[in-house]
Amino acid sequence: MAAAVHDRAAQRSAAPRQRRSGLVWYLIAGVAISAVFVLPLLWEVFRSLQPESAVSNPPSAASFTHLTFGNYKTLLSGQADILRNVINSLIVGVLTAILTSLVALLAGYGFALFRFRFSGLAFGVVLLAFMIPFQAVLTPLFLELHFLHLLNSLIGLALFYTTFNLPVGVFVMRNSFLQVPGEMVDAAQIDGASVLRTLASVYRPLVMPGIATTALFAFLFSWTEFLGALSFLTNDGLFTLPVALSNVETGTYGSVNYGLLLAGAVIAMIPCIVVYIALQRFYVRGLVSGALKG
Amino acid sequence: MSGQVSAPPSERTSRLRGGLTQSWLPRGGSAAGRSAAGGPAPRRRSTAASRRTTRTGLLLIAPALLFVTAFALIPLGFGVYISLTNWPLVGPYHFIGLANYTALVHNSVFLQSILFTLKYTAIVTVPILVIGYALAVFVRANRPGSTVFRTMIFVPYIVGLVAESFMAVVELQPDSGTVNFVLAKFGIAKVSTAWLVHTGLALTAISVLVIWFASGLTMMLLMAGMQGIPVELYESARVDGASWWGAERRITIPLLRRSIALSLIISVVGSFLAFNQFFIMTDGGPGTSTESVVMAIYQTAFADFNVGLASAMSIVLIVVVGLITFVQFRYLQGDAD
Repeated sequence: MAAAVHDRAAQRSAAPRQRRSGLVWYLIAGVAISAVFVLPLLWEVFRSLQPESAVSNPPSAASFTHLTFGNYKTLLSGQADILRNVINSLIVGVLTAILTSLVALLAGYGFALFRFRFSGLAFGVVLLAFMIPFQAVLTPLFLELHFLHLLNSLIGLALFYTTFNLPVGVFVMRNSFLQVPGEMVDAAQIDGASVLRTLASVYRPLVMPGIATTALFAFLFSWTEFLGALSFLTNDGLFTLPVALSNVETGTYGSVNYGLLLAGAVIAMIPCIVVYIALQRFYVRGLVSGALKG
Repeated sequence: MSGQVSAPPSERTSRLRGGLTQSWLPRGGSAAGRSAAGGPAPRRRSTAASRRTTRTGLLLIAPALLFVTAFALIPLGFGVYISLTNWPLVGPYHFIGLANYTALVHNSVFLQSILFTLKYTAIVTVPILVIGYALAVFVRANRPGSTVFRTMIFVPYIVGLVAESFMAVVELQPDSGTVNFVLAKFGIAKVSTAWLVHTGLALTAISVLVIWFASGLTMMLLMAGMQGIPVELYESARVDGASWWGAERRITIPLLRRSIALSLIISVVGSFLAFNQFFIMTDGGPGTSTESVVMAIYQTAFADFNVGLASAMSIVLIVVVGLITFVQFRYLQGDAD
């Protein structure tokens, strides 16, 4: 695939003179387009560093010079104890990522390399979760989690997130295993290694990218999810960050403070960007494998 | 979906041969494909070995099945059951047959939420597809900077609509939000425009936000599809003297049907299930004029405690979303695959 793209680029370079000015225009256009998508978010980072009075009043010269971490200080201490919610979000996100990649790893292995009765049916069942929008089973799930004593529980929330990340995860992991050359499978078989041993020794290095993709998707899903967390958590101390921010928005902690809301939204944004920039290779891989096979 | 279940053998063989498309091989998988996907199972299949394979395979997929059964299938079945009752959040309940469903026909809040969600979906779908397509064309070539541009354009999608909706709430405030001060410079809006308390203005603002947020995803999906199209096709089109748009129309768009179908399904289903942006930015207001279907369900279940009715709404939503997916898939994929 990469080679094909390269060829296409090579063709374009046929006329060097045209290419030079074309490239300049391409870069200018690219920077302008990128600005449309990134500048608003950068602007919000800047705005979150303004004191509340500047955020809630018409802009003035002073509002551009008096930058402060005041909003962040208030948010991470004292009354609006967002730090606890950040930690809750991290716990749920990491738990979801670990559970999803572990379960998807095993299932992907089973679906890709074991032909057995009902495997087609079972794969269909897993993909069914993909067809059922979680938004539409929220009420019965609420009651079920209540019966299981998993309501108002970070673990319950992580189990719920894991379920709805599994279809993508299983799909990505199955594709990872399918890419392992058949000779390696046969060699491991001849050596007489056990199933789990083969998984750990032969396949681990080959399917690590798939695990990274699955974990990344699961973490980002969990970190940015709102509706489920809003419905299944009623105890302030257990709120994840987005739910806590909706409290800041409606002013549960005293009067409405837009400076705090902006700072909170920036805190919610930063891990996404950091994780994405660091691991985007895996993210795009997952999207592409879903896009081409989905 | 049935295609996926039988896909592995041919998929695997084509990958091993370095193939670009799966369509080279028959769908069901050739005999060679089957044995290649047989994996660790020995070639001479004794019953004991195949029984062991079955057991190992089932054990490996058991956790995934358990999760999906416990937190997706059982809730679905339970939801159907509840929808046939007058289930309150606490207290006894009775079977009332299809009364919840017949009540929905006269439930003005639900009907209004469906109409509003349809309207919202109709507004955002085409811009997301067209802008996403144009962006994909822009970043698909392996030119200097294209990878960076891809990354940048995708950032709003990664950050998520929830954080961005909170930011938008602040920036859309009259007399203090950035949006009004920028638009006022161009004479488009007044500094005092209160976006989030008028139905039309709120829908406009939310639609713009969502188009900005979601175009990057469509771009990524379409770009992946575009990069899978063999370059030779463009070469021969060039030899035939086709214009850029001619090649785009005759080669890219037809070969991109799968990716277009996928990105349309994702975007339409996403719009139909919208909740976050409306809950955060307008809370359904003014009145219930910007209440989406999922919001109506949420309110019915968790504010009115009418769980039976909410479940009936959910079942209707599942059926509608399923139908939309099916129709779009059928229509855009044709019988080609």
